[in-house]
Amino acid sequence: MLIGIDVGGTTTDAVLIENGKVRSTAKVPTEPRNLLESLISALDAVSEGVSPGQLERVVFSTTVITNLIAEGKTDPVALLLVPGPGMNPAGYNFPDSFILKGAVDYRGREIQVLDEKEVRETAALIKEQGFSRAAVISKFGQRNPVHEKRVKEILEEVVPGLKIELGHRNAGRLNFPRRVATTMLATAAKDRYRDFVEEIRKALSERKIEAPVYILKADGGTLPLEKSEEVPVETIFSGPAASTIGALALTPRGESSVLVDIGGTTTDLALILSGEPLMASKGAKLGRFLTHVRAFAVRSIPVGGDSAVRVIASENASAGKKKVSVGPDRKGPAFCLGGPEPTPTDALRVLGISSIGDLALAKEAIAGIAAELGKSEEESAELIVDKATEMIAAAVKGMFLEWEQEPAYRIWEVLQEKKEDLRNVVGIGGGARGLISKVAEKLDANPVIPEHAEVGNAIGAAVARPTLTLNLHIDTERKEYSVAEDGDVVKLHTTGIKNINKMRSEDAEALAAELLRKRAEHFGISEYAGEAETTRSEVFNMIRGWATVGKLFDVSMQIPAGLIPEWKREEQA
Amino acid sequence: MKLGLGKIRDVLAGSPEQEKENKAEAKDVVARKEEEEEEKEIDSRDEDQETINEKGQGEEGISMKKPESHIRTARRFQPNEGKTGLIFFPAFDWAISPTHPEREERLLYTRDQIFEEGLMDLPEIAEYKPRLAEFKDIARVHFCVPDIEAQATVPHQISAGCSLVLADALMKGEVKNAFSLARPPGHHAMRVAHGNRGFCNINNEAILVEYLRRKYGIRKIAIVDTDVHHGDGTQEIFYHDPDVLFISFHQDGRTIFPGTGFMNELGGPKALARTINIPLPPATPDEGIHYILDKLVFPILDDFKPELILNSAGQDNHYTDPLANMRFSVQGYAKLNEKLAPDIAVLEGGYAIETALPYVNTGIILAMAGLDYSHVREPDYTPGMFVQAKRDRQMLDEIVRVQLENWKNRDFLVEEAVSDLGDFYRRKKSIFYDTDMIQESQEESVRMCPDCLGYMTIDSQAQHGYSGAKVFCVSIPIYACEKCRKEALEVYRDHTHDIKYDYVYLQDKKADVYKSYNPKTRQERVL
Repeated sequence: MLIGIDVGGTTTDAVLIENGKVRSTAKVPTEPRNLLESLISALDAVSEGVSPGQLERVVFSTTVITNLIAEGKTDPVALLLVPGPGMNPAGYNFPDSFILKGAVDYRGREIQVLDEKEVRETAALIKEQGFSRAAVISKFGQRNPVHEKRVKEILEEVVPGLKIELGHRNAGRLNFPRRVATTMLATAAKDRYRDFVEEIRKALSERKIEAPVYILKADGGTLPLEKSEEVPVETIFSGPAASTIGALALTPRGESSVLVDIGGTTTDLALILSGEPLMASKGAKLGRFLTHVRAFAVRSIPVGGDSAVRVIASENASAGKKKVSVGPDRKGPAFCLGGPEPTPTDALRVLGISSIGDLALAKEAIAGIAAELGKSEEESAELIVDKATEMIAAAVKGMFLEWEQEPAYRIWEVLQEKKEDLRNVVGIGGGARGLISKVAEKLDANPVIPEHAEVGNAIGAAVARPTLTLNLHIDTERKEYSVAEDGDVVKLHTTGIKNINKMRSEDAEALAAELLRKRAEHFGISEYAGEAETTRSEVFNMIRGWATVGKLFDVSMQIPAGLIPEWKREEQA
Repeated sequence: MKLGLGKIRDVLAGSPEQEKENKAEAKDVVARKEEEEEEKEIDSRDEDQETINEKGQGEEGISMKKPESHIRTARRFQPNEGKTGLIFFPAFDWAISPTHPEREERLLYTRDQIFEEGLMDLPEIAEYKPRLAEFKDIARVHFCVPDIEAQATVPHQISAGCSLVLADALMKGEVKNAFSLARPPGHHAMRVAHGNRGFCNINNEAILVEYLRRKYGIRKIAIVDTDVHHGDGTQEIFYHDPDVLFISFHQDGRTIFPGTGFMNELGGPKALARTINIPLPPATPDEGIHYILDKLVFPILDDFKPELILNSAGQDNHYTDPLANMRFSVQGYAKLNEKLAPDIAVLEGGYAIETALPYVNTGIILAMAGLDYSHVREPDYTPGMFVQAKRDRQMLDEIVRVQLENWKNRDFLVEEAVSDLGDFYRRKKSIFYDTDMIQESQEESVRMCPDCLGYMTIDSQAQHGYSGAKVFCVSIPIYACEKCRKEALEVYRDHTHDIKYDYVYLQDKKADVYKSYNPKTRQERVL
């Protein structure tokens, strides 16, 4: 049996799956002060009457990191940056940062040596200021981490006991400011995350649950709980990821869908294109920081079932016309549920589209709006629903446009027609379902509200499979390679490749596949290594004068997000 | 000062002794090219004077499309607010040939640098996606032989299209300025395109200019070409157009491809001094280039007051460029961009792919976005490492003096030149395509119409080994008078019967219609 639990902002949802089918579900309110307690009570509720030995797999998605960062509860980190030539580092907006001299270029060549005296002085300053954690990030450190490593040595010497993270170990893709942010957040959240994992482990062992436990990442992949301590920031945004995988699990294979999760205050949107959830082209944004964390392209808009509805003057106010506005704020629950203001939920109740709440109260709420507009209650309710669904539909169209307009750096990418026929508008989550069919109408697609949609997020967590990426960069002139995900620069002769100068793309791809296999093994997900696909393989001849002096290879591989084989999708969908 | 074309040349020849010596030394290297490029003026053979309406059709043409109130001013003359539009199109899957400077690798390290800097994440920068330029966009500028497909392959269409995407973004007010960091380049491509010249097939800036005119009614445009090579293609395309001010500074043509760009190349009779060439002595550093900018380029630009300033942003004046000999630095380039404040910059050459491009492009992007570029510098650069030679400074002073004088007297020069001509201005040209080894000879003829710029015809014969096409081209300016247009249409029709031509082309910019005719198969193609 499989268990999936999603700790959301308002509720914690859980689901128990047996033989590929949902056996039981549970919903408990999330206690923001004690996420662990919410998680455990959802687990207890859903697994009631099941012996721990029957459980094969438990997957959580959690907002723990998101909350820590949002509440500013992470630990202070001293940032030691080695930026080299380029943007003025004074323009970076990172707290507690110390700028050091030294530079490495895009090929990994040292172009300015480290000023060790300056590093020592900085280390002494960090000690004096009482930091217990530090992160060292150099520009192009992923092409050559020599400066990051040397700074770490000096820090260890001068500040005994300082916990130090290095940029190249945390994020290897190009983009220094994002690497700084990612490394900073990882350093800041690491200890707290470890405590959280420890408490979960304790709670599970108290319940004698010995099944493997996984945590969901922002890219919709699962990671064994103990391994997740290495990469805590990857668990941010796992809520929307859970819903997206849930939508994938509850719709037919290969179709294009938009996932619409209407909450109280906001609506979350995600795209599934020809059966594959759309990844954000760059990393996720966390608070005010852009990171390298891989995540689905999710968009959140301030429209929800409880959004406050108001009457405002129309743009062409000369005619004295008025119109309704929805959101962006929420004053409380819907009026029909005892709230203070009219909401889309009240409009749906008046129109008979939903049966949530008290009809008389709903009518009272809409009557106020109707009086201001000078229209009937029914007309007014329709206007409100129309406005809310129009905003959602416009956001979906905007997401498609953004996807179509993503920058292209190769001829084939420009020529590739990016067009998808949207087939399904999938409603997941508990809120304001009545809006889904109206949104679908506006997008000319089928409204789909699958069975168990209210716990679709928990289903997503339960049936998500592991993901893994590997970005390999090879420089045959310098005779070395680096893997963006773990950052070390390794000499090519250690790979057993015989004639480095005559390397071909096939050799580079074989090396990438081998490295991916090892990486999968490290994360305990070897059985999925066979699912890996090569998403990019490029080779550049380096010509100096008129002769080829070497080659640069870039190979990207991934085990994409998907579903575990135990889930019987076709029957569910 | 009263100057005819011939006299201008005499005046320019009267530069300091030193220059004469240089000229003598460089003679063997460039003599052949200079002779080829020698312009030949042919007096009008058409004695018939046309009677021309005092008022009428001509005015119609001029005022088309454009309401007076919508004339814009270049960003140079405006407050500095808004985003910078950027297209980075490195064409990682295209090369002229595997070891050619114009190959996949060219912008690879630039990609590494600008991505590592995180420039695309900056709120000051909006990244756009490339698109293909349409055939009509290309036909507005070029006579492609035999057809557009042959000269403008997909990468060329994309590189040209990048500028057009940015033009739309600029004109819609989404961005304050824009940089097309795209390859392949274009500024050596001339009006008639038989093949690739100087790594260029079609002219990205010229296509941009005609697009801005047609779609947005922009009229006065300045192009400042800061590539180390003379922008001979752009110069040739707008040679007769007083609405387009073309200023090019470059390494002296006696020492570098394409061997042109001298001060006596001032423009056609009706556009004299709207082409300003600034041939710089080799090894000119930042100091010299900024001296020229401050003393010559900016005063002329500010006087011309264009609606838009375009920058052909070649990066091969850099001190490490393998194909040139100048001493410009990253800081020099970034500061140039900041001071010039182009509305749209378009990448041209620049082949120091490791030592210059990553840094120069970062500097230019930051400068365009109004951000601090003071920390962008080459690893081996120390301020003060290049000093302006005193002798060269005297040459720069002379260039400034002569070209300011020409600019000041431009209307007078035009009046003089036109009064000496009959109904047509004709010149013969010889054009060499270094990349494709084609030799082209042309006779260009411009109708000296008192009401408009006059239509143009070009009789062109290309030679490539034993083959080569002979073509006849007719071009009608966008603001042509109806009379010129009618005459030009007749000329086109007449030539379609002439089987000595492989193709006859019509470029009717006024009607936005483009035709090509094969007299042997009698097939016409219309765009």
